[in-house]
Amino acid sequence: MTAAATAERSTGLVPPRARVVAERPADERALVLAAQRGEREAFSELVRTHERRAYAVARAIVVNHEDAEDAVQEAFLHAYRALHRFLPDQAFGAWLHRIVANAALDITRRRKVRDADELPETVASPFRDPAESSELRQRLKDALDSLPARQRAVIVLHDVEGFKHAEIGVTLGIPEGTARSDLHYARSHLREVLGSVRSEL
Amino acid sequence: MTTEFRGPELVRDDDLTRELRSIYAAPTEGAWWAGLEQRINARIDAAVAADEWWTVPDRWLRVGLMAAGFAVIVAGAMVLRSQTQQATRMAYQTIVDPATIDLLEVAERDKLTPQQITLRALTGR
Repeated sequence: MTAAATAERSTGLVPPRARVVAERPADERALVLAAQRGEREAFSELVRTHERRAYAVARAIVVNHEDAEDAVQEAFLHAYRALHRFLPDQAFGAWLHRIVANAALDITRRRKVRDADELPETVASPFRDPAESSELRQRLKDALDSLPARQRAVIVLHDVEGFKHAEIGVTLGIPEGTARSDLHYARSHLREVLGSVRSEL
Repeated sequence: MTTEFRGPELVRDDDLTRELRSIYAAPTEGAWWAGLEQRINARIDAAVAADEWWTVPDRWLRVGLMAAGFAVIVAGAMVLRSQTQQATRMAYQTIVDPATIDLLEVAERDKLTPQQITLRALTGR
């Protein structure tokens, strides 16, 4: 066991990804092939298997829960339509994550344009964001929102979801080194915010 | 030129990570995920139905294109035929026109050259 893994266990910060990978069904290739033959139930099974990870990728990029859900729906629809182009020997998850990331980035871009034109609007949501529960979290959330979308995505995918730099690179379509530098700058910025909030409180 | 980052990487801050995980916590209720799955499937079904609406005329599109191509060929042939008939009629009218007959007689009598015949036909003298 590596030192990092030991540290993660001792701090209780085991990335959720480790659990999901272990649960991944061995017959995913068969499911993909069945879905490519047009079996809707097989694709539904793929949705069931991957929706949580897809949501995590989307949520790392967009600024709220509703947009994340929208990106996930959009991405699965796109994946369904593009399924005939997918090579079953590749990792379905990695392919899907790239689609999800693109859908989320699209939504982020559209939202930027819309927000520039409209006044902010409060949307009632059945899901209460845990970030609203404290001053510190709210300030951190504001700081996250002020980060460029890519840096925000990198730090969330890495620190929250347990993605490796190379996987982040593939998902977001950027070089691994760029993922590293984005992580560096995002951490540095958020630490600053965290530090100043703590000194105020 | 690459954008590879070679600088020192900040180590993970456990407090920051804990806060981030709290902010980005996904919904935990199984019902919500089941609902999301249903919404995804419903969206796909709706899109597939919309696609099929377009593919039905698509089948007829080939027949339509073939019919349109055939119609263009028939119309072209009819125009060509009409033009040929008009040219024949004009040639016939030119021959049977009394003025033309008179001119031909004059041309034979006066031993006119083809250029002189054309000139007289045009000037009407």
